[in-house]
Amino acid sequence: MIGLGLRTLLAKEVRRFLRVPGQTVLSPIITTTLYFVVFGYSLGSRLREVEGVPYARFIVPGLVTLGVVSNAFLNTASSMFVMKLQGTITDLLVSPLSYGEVLAGFVGAAVIRGLTVGLLMWAVAGVFTGFGVAHPLAAIGLLLLIAVGFSALGFITAVWATSFEQINFFPTFIITPLTFLGGVFYSARMLSPGLRRFTLLNPLFYLVDGVRHAVLGLSDAPPAAAVAIAAGLCAAALGVSYAMLRTGYKLRG
Amino acid sequence: MGDPVVSVRGVEKRFGGFTALAGLDLDIRAGEIFALLGPNGAGKTTLISIVAGLLRASAGTVRVLGRDVVTDYRYTRRHLGLVPQEINFDPFFTVEEALRIQAGYFGVRLSEERLEEILGALDLAAKRHVNARALSGGMKRRLLIGKALVHAPEVLFLDEPTAGVDVELRQQLWRYVRTLQGRGTTIVLTTHYLEEAEELADRVGILDRGRLLLVEDKAEVLRRYARKTLRAALATPLAELPAPLRSLGARLEDGGRVLSLDAEPGESFGPALAALAAAGLAVQDVETQRMRLEDVFVTLLRGERP
Ligand SMILES: Nc1ncnc2c1ncn2[C@@H]1O[C@H](COP(=O)(O)OP(=O)(O)OP(=O)(O)O)[C@@H](O)[C@H]1O
Ligand SMILES: [Mg+2]
Repeated sequence: MIGLGLRTLLAKEVRRFLRVPGQTVLSPIITTTLYFVVFGYSLGSRLREVEGVPYARFIVPGLVTLGVVSNAFLNTASSMFVMKLQGTITDLLVSPLSYGEVLAGFVGAAVIRGLTVGLLMWAVAGVFTGFGVAHPLAAIGLLLLIAVGFSALGFITAVWATSFEQINFFPTFIITPLTFLGGVFYSARMLSPGLRRFTLLNPLFYLVDGVRHAVLGLSDAPPAAAVAIAAGLCAAALGVSYAMLRTGYKLRG
Repeated sequence: MGDPVVSVRGVEKRFGGFTALAGLDLDIRAGEIFALLGPNGAGKTTLISIVAGLLRASAGTVRVLGRDVVTDYRYTRRHLGLVPQEINFDPFFTVEEALRIQAGYFGVRLSEERLEEILGALDLAAKRHVNARALSGGMKRRLLIGKALVHAPEVLFLDEPTAGVDVELRQQLWRYVRTLQGRGTTIVLTTHYLEEAEELADRVGILDRGRLLLVEDKAEVLRRYARKTLRAALATPLAELPAPLRSLGARLEDGGRVLSLDAEPGESFGPALAALAAAGLAVQDVETQRMRLEDVFVTLLRGERP
C-alpha cells in the first residue's frame, strides 16, 4: 500500500522532469543516437564484428547503461539540489512523510526517468540493429538495480553538495569516464594485458558487461559480478541516504 | 489551563561555536495566540524551526500535544503548520497545484470547498491557476500561509506572516487568524510589527540573544511596564507651576498651555488631579496616554527594567 503522501511526492517529481522533456528525456536520446550513428553505424560498418556480433549491435548495451546511469543520477541530484537552493525542501521537511517515503519518492521518480530513457534509447538502436534481447528479465532487473543505485548516489551528492559544481563533478569526472573506459565501445578481450587489468578494477565495466550479457548473451566477466556490484551499490547508497535523512545531516542544520 | 500544546524544555541550539538558543523553557497553551518577539538574530526562527522539525536541537526536548518532535515526528508534524520566514516557491507549479501537493504530503486530499476557503481567506482566488513565479512578493507570502493551512493544523507557527503584506490584507489576515483561533487553533507568531502583537496576542514572549527575557500575558505586560502620561490643556497659559504640582513631577509644555505628568505603571493620577483642582486651575481637556507595546519592548531590551 503506497500512501497518498508518497504518491504525491512521486507524481510531483515525475511531473517535474516531464515538464521539460527536451532536457530530461529527449536530449539524452539525441546524444546517444549520435554516438550510435557515428561509432556504431558509420564507423561500425567498416569495423569487424566483435565476438561474433556486429559492432553496431555490440555497443548498444553500454550506451543504454550509460543513459540509465546518468539520468537516474541527474534526476535526484538536480531535483534535490534545486529544492535546497529554492528553499522548497522546507515543504518536505515539515511534512509527516517518513524518511523512507521521502527517499522512495525521489529514487522512484529518478528510476522512472532512467529506465524510460534507457528503453527509448534501446528502441532507437533497435531500429538499426534489431530488437532481440537474450535475457529480457535479467536485462530489466539489472538495469533496475543500476537505476536505483545511481539515483540514491545522486541523492547523497545533492544533500551533501553546496554548489552546482559539486553536483556536476560526479557525472563528468567519474561516471562518464568510468563508463566509457568500462568497455562500452570495446571488449576487454581486445585489450593488452595491462589495460585489461586496469579495466577489471573499474566497477562500471562489470555493470556494462552484465547488461551486455543480458541483452546480447555474451560477456567478458561472470554476470553474477554485475548483479553483486549493482546490489551492493543499491544497499550502500540507499543505506547512506536513509541515514542522512534520519540524522538530518545538512538538511536540518 | 490543561496540558500545554507545545512544551519546550532546556532547548539549546549551537551553530558551530555560536549559541543561538541558550537553554529555553516555554509552554504554549491550547487555543492561545502567542507572540514571540525579539530583535533580529534573537533566535525566534531557530526556536520555531526546532519545533516544526526543520532543525534539530543541540540539547533539550520539544513536545507537541505530548509527543516528542524527534522520535514521534510523523504525529507531531501532522498537527503542526509552519509559515516560514523565508519565501520559497516552486516555479513549476500553479497556486492550486502548490496547495494540492502540500496537502498530499500530509496525506490530505483538498476538497473544492476547503481549497476555496483558503484561497478566499488569502485573497488568492483570482490567482488560482497562476504560476507561483508570477505572484507578487506579498502574494507569495500568502501562498506560504495557504500551504501551512492545507491540513488544518492544530498548532500554527507564523514566522513574520505579514512582512511585505499590504495594510488592508494585513488586517484581513489578522481577522482570519482570529477566526482560526475561534475554531480552536493555537497560534504562535513572530513579528517586528509590535502593533500586530498588541492587536492579536494573548501572551507575549521576549527573546533576546537566545534567552527568554519575559513570558507574560500581554495585558499584564502593559499594566506592569507601560508608563502612562496625563496631559491637561489649560484654559489660560501658566508662567510657573504651583509648588504642589511641581513636587508631583508635573511639567509645563506648549508655552504653558499644557500641563503634563507621567505615572509609573500601577500608579494613580488621583493625587495629581486633586492638586490640579486645589490650585484652582481651569482645565479645558484631559487626555491620558499609555506606552505602546513597542515602547515597553524597547525599554525592556535596553535593560532599564527587570
Ligand atoms: N544555519 C545557521 N548557521 C549559523 N548560524 C545561524 C544559522 N541559523 C541561524 N543562525 C544564527 O542564529 C541566530 C538566531 O537566528 P534566528 O534566525 O533564529 O533569528 P531571528 O530571531 O529569527 O531573527 P530575525 O528577526 O532577523 O528573523 C543568529 O545570530 C543567526 O545568525
Ligand atoms: Mg527570524
